[in-house]
Amino acid sequence: MSHEHDHRHDRSHDEGPPSEWEIMSRAMQELLIEKGVVTAEQIRARMEKFDQDFPYRGSRVIAHAWADPAFKRRLLQDGKAACADFGIDLEADKLIAVENTPEVHNVIVCTLCSCYPRALLGMPPTWYKSENYRRRVVREPRAVLREFGTEIPEHVTVRVHDSNADMRYVVVPMRPAGTEGWSEERLARIITRDTLVGVTLPKASSGSGS
Amino acid sequence: MSMEKRPHDMGGEPGGPIDTVDRGMKFWEKQANALRSTLTSRKVVRLDELRRAAEDLGERYLQLEYFERTTHALRTVLVERGFITEAELAAKMAEVRKRYDSIANGR
Repeated sequence: MSHEHDHRHDRSHDEGPPSEWEIMSRAMQELLIEKGVVTAEQIRARMEKFDQDFPYRGSRVIAHAWADPAFKRRLLQDGKAACADFGIDLEADKLIAVENTPEVHNVIVCTLCSCYPRALLGMPPTWYKSENYRRRVVREPRAVLREFGTEIPEHVTVRVHDSNADMRYVVVPMRPAGTEGWSEERLARIITRDTLVGVTLPKASSGSGS
Repeated sequence: MSMEKRPHDMGGEPGGPIDTVDRGMKFWEKQANALRSTLTSRKVVRLDELRRAAEDLGERYLQLEYFERTTHALRTVLVERGFITEAELAAKMAEVRKRYDSIANGR
């Protein structure tokens, strides 16, 4: 079977022998394929979406919101419907877009597990799933943001949004000065995943040199 | 059901510094994630039952890494729902283990 070969090839990047968990996961996958519950192709396609498609959607959506005020209004009213207009099916039940302003900075977390707008941002980074982030960001968000190198002035309110399986958040950062006249494609390049979770701020300087 | 706070309910508790570097995912974790996501998007299993199975881990919850926890939860739900049996899983795991060993020895 060709996927055996692919598997061996891709696995070689990992260190050491497979853990019992890897063996269990692999065994469940093979059993479900043998029983016709899922196909190898569906799983492979899903992996590709997570690797190549999902992680870049959020930047495109927010760049479009920056460029088109009517779309931004729609996104803030109904995130899932706005994304659908943009050709993106979010799968999750509800997407709430929260807008940063000169008065309010937003940051997202899932304290109970790791709910995250995956169809918009890909897989959550390691720190988003970490126990220390989940524990602390709701209690001391400014200190947590400082660890990401982000200093939020005292006069700005910091609002922390706790996600759940049916309700995911995305931050709409403020468009930085110096990006006037930029194409959506160029804007999208400074809209990183971390800015959409709210732990960093987009900077016009990071989009230069292109 | 007890109303006592369980280990997964950790929001607001004191914690240490955050490792702000994204460590990425191993290949098996990507595959495990794709399997789980395929199953939930096709509504073979529900996200809520997977979460419940992970939350039922109790003290073990904090000992397991993220994808170990989700793999454990998927196993629980697949067995509960009758998609696989423990015996089938044990046999298949032995087969997979043997295959990995023969690959390792062949290098």
